[in-house]
Amino acid sequence: MKIKTLNYFSCEAVRGIFRNRLMSLAAVGTITMALLLFGGFYLITSNIHHLGKMAKGQIEIRVFLTQSAPGKKVMEKRLAAIPGVQKVRYVSKEEGAKILSQLLGGGELFLEGENPLPDSFNIQTDDGSDIDAIAARVRKISGVEEVVYGQKFVKFLNLILRLLWLVGTILILLAIFAVLYIMINTIQLTVYARRKEIEIMKLVGATDWFIRWPFLLEGVYLGITGAAVSIFILIEGYTILYGKAKSITAALPLLNSVQITTDLVIFLLAMGVFFGAFRSVLSIRRYLKV
Amino acid sequence: MILAKNLAKEYNNGVLALQDFSLKIEKGEFVFLVGPSGAGKSSFLNLVIRKEMPTAGLLEVGERNVARLKKHEVPFFRRNIGVIFQDYKLLPNKTVYENISFALEVIEADAWKIKQRVNYVLEMVGLIHKRKEFPAELSGGEQQRVSLARAIVNRPHLLLADEPTGNLDPETSWEIMELLREINKGGTTIIMATHNKGIVDRLRRRVVAIEHGRLIRDEQKGGYNYED
Repeated sequence: MKIKTLNYFSCEAVRGIFRNRLMSLAAVGTITMALLLFGGFYLITSNIHHLGKMAKGQIEIRVFLTQSAPGKKVMEKRLAAIPGVQKVRYVSKEEGAKILSQLLGGGELFLEGENPLPDSFNIQTDDGSDIDAIAARVRKISGVEEVVYGQKFVKFLNLILRLLWLVGTILILLAIFAVLYIMINTIQLTVYARRKEIEIMKLVGATDWFIRWPFLLEGVYLGITGAAVSIFILIEGYTILYGKAKSITAALPLLNSVQITTDLVIFLLAMGVFFGAFRSVLSIRRYLKV
Repeated sequence: MILAKNLAKEYNNGVLALQDFSLKIEKGEFVFLVGPSGAGKSSFLNLVIRKEMPTAGLLEVGERNVARLKKHEVPFFRRNIGVIFQDYKLLPNKTVYENISFALEVIEADAWKIKQRVNYVLEMVGLIHKRKEFPAELSGGEQQRVSLARAIVNRPHLLLADEPTGNLDPETSWEIMELLREINKGGTTIIMATHNKGIVDRLRRRVVAIEHGRLIRDEQKGGYNYED
């Protein structure tokens, strides 16, 4: 391919955008709307996932030991060796009694020297690790009598997260169809304006790729523009909302805009380029069959 | 130049545009295709330029079997053929010069060649002084001259003209015919589909008459011999 030809493609693409200003604007608008939808959804789901992870991370696993369990040091080592375990804290039977007594309103619970509570450990897990799996592994260690954690709560949380994922996937799929539908419809108009040009190009002997390139580039440029606009709106909007939310409750575990920016930018740019190119390829396909 | 043997074209809707159509056109000939509307004239031209595919029979253009052309060969095949139409098919947003240079740009010709050739054909059709104007600013005859200039700018061996004078008054039509004769003198084979009785009768060239997709008359120095 000659450099002159590359230059021609690029110029034609830009010219095409400005020649059909209204349609280009409509295309950027559609892509922006679509990406806002995706991006917004992405922000919501990733925050909910983050929230879920944080909630799970705050659940402690309580491990009660048998009377015949090996010493504190040995047990601590065994527990800490399990992948996903972040912190292991020993709670002696005396300490356990103290906590229990506090919970029950103070005072002596048992007769001196007759503490029936077992020694125990509190385990904190890494963020995002599978708490059920960790609990199952803990249970298998010899010397462990009982493992207690918020099983029901975790189950409930898992269900909610799975439900959200399902709803999210359905919504994304619906959004993709809606966007493609809108695109295909706006394309008809764009291409109608260009069909004569394509016909003439074909008649004078232009190759299909020669015809396609400027359109493809045009679509990619429009896609990138749409992505840039939606990224700007999303990040600005998110930063504002984040500030507002934090000013209400600082404890809300939201992802800050720095944490989401890279993924969001890559995701939306890729989607923008995809939509733009797809729109172009689709729009000229029919007219290349001359 | 062109060889058709028992050529047939049937459209998907069952319409038989051409049937049992055999014709041989030598290099450098000037042939009029006549016949009523819908007789198959345009279908034949569309087959020659491989805009459509024959359903049966043989069609050779420049010794190439049109039906056997591979998809990627079609653009290069078309570069040897110029086409003009009744409705000129000019791009309204390009100037006269750009409309013609466009035909060379899309086949990736060199810049110097484009400039030289475009100016040459503009000179030939007498529109060099209007090269910066847009099609809408030109008369019908001038637009057809631009279209003609575009068709010949790449020096095709074959020029197809589908009712080139259909939208023009008699005087302007003659201007176009003069140009076509000029181009034909240079060795380019010309096939022109027309309803223009005056032109066919006066020029006395080979006339091929088509009716209901069949060739019904083929005479050298023929006349129109039709009542439209």
